Amino acid sequence: MKQRLVVIGGVASGTKTAAKAIRENPDLEITVITEEDYISYAGCGLPYYIGNVIRDKKHLTVMNPEKFKEKGITVLLHTRAEKIIPSQKVVKAKDMVTGEEKEFPYDKLVLATGAKPIVPPIPGIELKNVYVLRSVTDAFKIRDAVEKEGIKKAVVVGGGFIGLEVAENLTLRGVKVTLVELLDQILPNFDKEIALLAEKHLKEKGVEVFTSEKALSIEGKDGKATALLTDKRKIDADMVLLSIGVKPDTQLAAGAGIELGIKGAIKVNENMETNIHDIYAVGDCAENINLVTGKPAWFPMGSTANKMGRVAALNLYPKGEKESLEGVLGTTVVKLFDINVAKTGLSEKDAKNAGYNIITVIVPAHDRAHYYPGAKNIITKLIVDKATHRLLGAQIIGEGVVDKPIDIAATVITLKGTVEDMAKLDLAYAPPFSSAMSSTIVAANVARNKLLGKLEGISPLELKDRLSDPELQIIDVREEAEYLVGTIPGARNIPLKEIRQRAGEIDKQRETVVLCKIGLRAYLAYITLKHLGVQKLKILDGGVTAWPFELE
Amino acid sequence: MAEIKIDAKCLQCPGPIVQLFNAVKSAQSGDVIVVEATDRGFYKDVQAWCKKTGNELLSLEDGDVIVARVKKA
Ligand SMILES: Cc1cc2nc3c(=O)[nH]c(=O)nc-3n(C[C@H](O)[C@H](O)[C@H](O)COP(=O)(O)OP(=O)(O)OC[C@H]3O[C@@H](n4cnc5c(N)ncnc54)[C@H](O)[C@@H]3O)c2cc1C
Repeated sequence: MKQRLVVIGGVASGTKTAAKAIRENPDLEITVITEEDYISYAGCGLPYYIGNVIRDKKHLTVMNPEKFKEKGITVLLHTRAEKIIPSQKVVKAKDMVTGEEKEFPYDKLVLATGAKPIVPPIPGIELKNVYVLRSVTDAFKIRDAVEKEGIKKAVVVGGGFIGLEVAENLTLRGVKVTLVELLDQILPNFDKEIALLAEKHLKEKGVEVFTSEKALSIEGKDGKATALLTDKRKIDADMVLLSIGVKPDTQLAAGAGIELGIKGAIKVNENMETNIHDIYAVGDCAENINLVTGKPAWFPMGSTANKMGRVAALNLYPKGEKESLEGVLGTTVVKLFDINVAKTGLSEKDAKNAGYNIITVIVPAHDRAHYYPGAKNIITKLIVDKATHRLLGAQIIGEGVVDKPIDIAATVITLKGTVEDMAKLDLAYAPPFSSAMSSTIVAANVARNKLLGKLEGISPLELKDRLSDPELQIIDVREEAEYLVGTIPGARNIPLKEIRQRAGEIDKQRETVVLCKIGLRAYLAYITLKHLGVQKLKILDGGVTAWPFELE
Repeated sequence: MAEIKIDAKCLQCPGPIVQLFNAVKSAQSGDVIVVEATDRGFYKDVQAWCKKTGNELLSLEDGDVIVARVKKA
């Protein structure tokens, strides 16, 4: 008799598993069960459908059961798995349209049940025009509301990447968007100075952003949302999007005695096997290993979901050694209007929590030769282990290309490289693409200089906290014209070319911070001043370019 | 009244704002200085600079090349 594979869930990881499994085992009888009306849709594209960047519905839902049939895979839409009985190797399910109960015996079972949006338990969530965005159906509803009901004002609750992508796309459609975030920063996985730069850009683009603010309830009239009440104000809105995060959908698994791990995600080993024989779990419903710390983590990402699906498919009937996924870095990239933001590995916060002794650098640079038309700025932050010089994490933000350098950083971290390794990489260069000393290499070299004690830095957050400290003097070494445009509050101007003659104006007893636009001139001033006997000297990491607060 | 053209394209640090500053210094009141720059930061900088120094920003074009026309006060 043919071997039977049943897959529960048919978006990213479930369909990936099924497609790979049939290629590996052409005789396998595969059934994919999904409760939704669409299969294998482009979840990550949903915000852009709302924004009409992706114009047509059918571009999101390219696949259908007929196309899977051609591959030899049976897909059952609107069929909900209700119970797994491992002792009998059977899944009990229900057709959501006809109500018919069905049983699916399996030899191998793959759980790809994904994640669900967390809905905050606040009054008013049942009102019309209150949405979450997870499924393609959610996206259809939101876009319909924007197009047919003339939505003018929207509130997005939650400043993670989904909330931000929707905020951008609604804004581009002429909707006035207010974003409310409970934490003191948007992009919660990022370090604060990077998140603040992103927040600044959102505000410039007309999105109102309120952080450290709690959504309390949604007000309505005639069953429709009219405003969001927070602990600080009332925000008028004819649409509310709740995007405060997702949680793994693992009730079904837990009911079958499958062990859960971090954040309630299904515990799997690096072969995607659960604690029950012949049951695998992949995608957002399953946990991962953080490749840097080696500890369990949960990264509900489409990129990771696909890799997990492939691994599970190869391990159903392994031909030789089992395939494994040793871990992931949580690499992400997001576009917000005119800027791009990316992250891989540990943030500064994560690294400190994990007990690492670290240095960090913040280095602005161009994404290609500065003289080549279209060159744009990017700011690179690196997090480096002091003891081993290993790169632990990176974050990049700016108008320029960020995905290439973040992918380089992800590669270095995966291969356990140091900043010395990174600085010596032979990277492609011609003016339209990069700089002779690419941003990645420059950042690695600044980190090396810091590790060698050649310079000491102060982060923008630390400086901000100490602006009123009378012990501190701040010297802006840029030209007077640049200084006039705007500088750090309290900074005095001594241009680099005058620093030798005017060094007497600097009180050697006090702690001194030097700064410029990106850090290079400040470094030159640092060397001169050190030489002249100014001891307690620091450079502002990232200069004025990476300063996320107001200039004066 | 003279029109002074400055090609500040492809300049790195300290960049076009310093060129503009120097040109304004040596210009007569009422002269117009036209700066062409590729540094993306110039778009915001020139607005802030004019506001602070009281020189008038007659026009500002965005694009791969940013063009600012500034009238000396
Ligand atoms: C708006 C948005 C933007 C995103 N952008 C990105 C991005 O840019 N990059 C990135 O890497 N990731 C992104 N993601 C995340 C990415 O979409 C997910 O990681 C990916 O969809 C996970 O796939 P999955 O198949 O594991 O789970 P899911 O997509 O959650 O699919 C699970 C499916 O299983 C079904 N199901 C659950 N239980 C049952 C049951 N009992 N019976 C039958 N069916 C069941 C669910 O209804 C669902 O259809 C985004 C997500 C969203 C919502």
